[in-house]
Amino acid sequence: MTPSLHALVYLGWRAVLVEPVKRLFQRGSGLERFEANFAADRLAPTSLVDREVAFEASRCIGCGLCEAGCRLLGASPAIAALGLPAAFRLVGRAGGDLAGAKELLAVCADCAGCTTLCPTGVPIGRVVRHLANRASPAS
Amino acid sequence: MTARSVDVLVVGGGLAGALAALSARASGASVLLVRRSPGATALSGGALGVAPDLDALPGDPLLVRRSPLESARRLAARRPGHPYAVLGVHQLEEALGFAGANLSPLIEAADGRPRFLAHVSGGLAECALCLRSQAAGDLRRARGLAVAIGFSGHLGFDARLVASAVERLTPAGGPRAAFADAIAFTGPGDGALRPFELARALEIPGAAEALGAAIRAVLPRGATVALVAPVLGLDPAARVHERVEAAAGLPVAEVVSDPPSVPGLRLDLALLARLAAAGIELVQGELAAGSGPGRPVQAGGLTVEARSWVLATGRFLGGGLWRGERLVEPLFGLPVLASEAGVAGVAGLALAGRRPMDLTFRERTAAQPLLAAGVAVDPACRPLDQTGRPFHERLFAAGAIIGGHEHAADQTGLGVAILSGWIAGRGAAGEGRL
Repeated sequence: MTPSLHALVYLGWRAVLVEPVKRLFQRGSGLERFEANFAADRLAPTSLVDREVAFEASRCIGCGLCEAGCRLLGASPAIAALGLPAAFRLVGRAGGDLAGAKELLAVCADCAGCTTLCPTGVPIGRVVRHLANRASPAS
Repeated sequence: MTARSVDVLVVGGGLAGALAALSARASGASVLLVRRSPGATALSGGALGVAPDLDALPGDPLLVRRSPLESARRLAARRPGHPYAVLGVHQLEEALGFAGANLSPLIEAADGRPRFLAHVSGGLAECALCLRSQAAGDLRRARGLAVAIGFSGHLGFDARLVASAVERLTPAGGPRAAFADAIAFTGPGDGALRPFELARALEIPGAAEALGAAIRAVLPRGATVALVAPVLGLDPAARVHERVEAAAGLPVAEVVSDPPSVPGLRLDLALLARLAAAGIELVQGELAAGSGPGRPVQAGGLTVEARSWVLATGRFLGGGLWRGERLVEPLFGLPVLASEAGVAGVAGLALAGRRPMDLTFRERTAAQPLLAAGVAVDPACRPLDQTGRPFHERLFAAGAIIGGHEHAADQTGLGVAILSGWIAGRGAAGEGRL
């Protein structure tokens, strides 16, 4: 039991003394500090909505049934090559990866043909819209 | 908004829900079916497993293998927690007949014998019913030389692997095996196509004939049946299978594949067509929780009131069970049985409170309580509450939401869907007409 006792003492020391003292000298909001630390690595902060969407998207089992309802799949070679499950691989990614898929995500016409086909009930249209917004926040 | 009033409300539109709706309709009830999307049936390979012969050894002659009904009887006798044992396996034959009759143009009539179909993974699927387009590939009946034929545009089909599956049954009385690879068939555009894209491309006039001719050109001497990827058209009305057979000059059979499998989609479309033909109203959308039989409920933007309900919401995939901190049945909060009693040395209810992640075991061949999770039912298919009595007189359950069987492992998933759907639909209609 000694290792866990050490761990508890250390955690207690951090919680009671170190963290409160650190907090006294902190500047800026959490978001600002995140950006100061991680913007250079091209990491975007995760918002509550991001987490919500990621949770919904985690129900995707990659079965591909949704693709049968996608009107753009036949029209666009880029989408035909990657398919809708490719959108789910983008969930949780930030920065360069997502920006590279900007054009692909922007072509979704929001016809909702995919969402009604999903056996696990993923709101695919919402996930794609959300990713498109994250990829190009300005528009 | 006024409430729509029907005798029976079916929640869930997979095979179990559709058959429950059809059997209730056949008993004279008015039926409304609400479904969010295609269910797990659409993800199936199109072969309807009832029960494999568990006593058979791989080398046993195919001609003496037990019938699916006899195998189901033995399964029920051995495992008292299995839905077959609970619901009564004696009704299975009639239920299968009902399912076969409702899917008759698509499904080959059952002859009471098991069918052995090659799977794209190099394995075998033992089933009771299969699509007509798969029937010629039944290795119990096929004679001579079965030739697996690959498409160059299809990545998920390895002709050599399929031939190896056939070869394994040759000593047991199956046909000899051969393969011919890479027929240059690629539909519109370049590169690999998805199975349903290939299927649609073959519906175009002339495409099936061209494929048939290409098959004929690569067949070795003495070939008696050609095994192809299951992509022969999405819409049965296009008659792609018949056209390919005519052009190839020999029986052509689709093998069983993983999802997304075109035969599974065809099964789903056939069920929808059957529901419409039987006069069953279909509502697409979610069902609001917190209601029940005899009370109004929001179903996909419509207010519905039904005397009897059939819960055919599936398991983890369809949303019938939620895996959170513990297992939850979201519509009624029914108690979830986490394992078949007696399997894994634990009683079912004892596991119900455990975290889902604790309900699986690392050893792959071990019984996995999580995969047998579901509600318990009485012989009339009514789900039970904590005290072991029916939760509601007119609430029925059908399909994978009923626990006690690991449908992936014991290959009884669609058989249970057929039996429970048939029983639940009749029960719901009987009560509905009081």
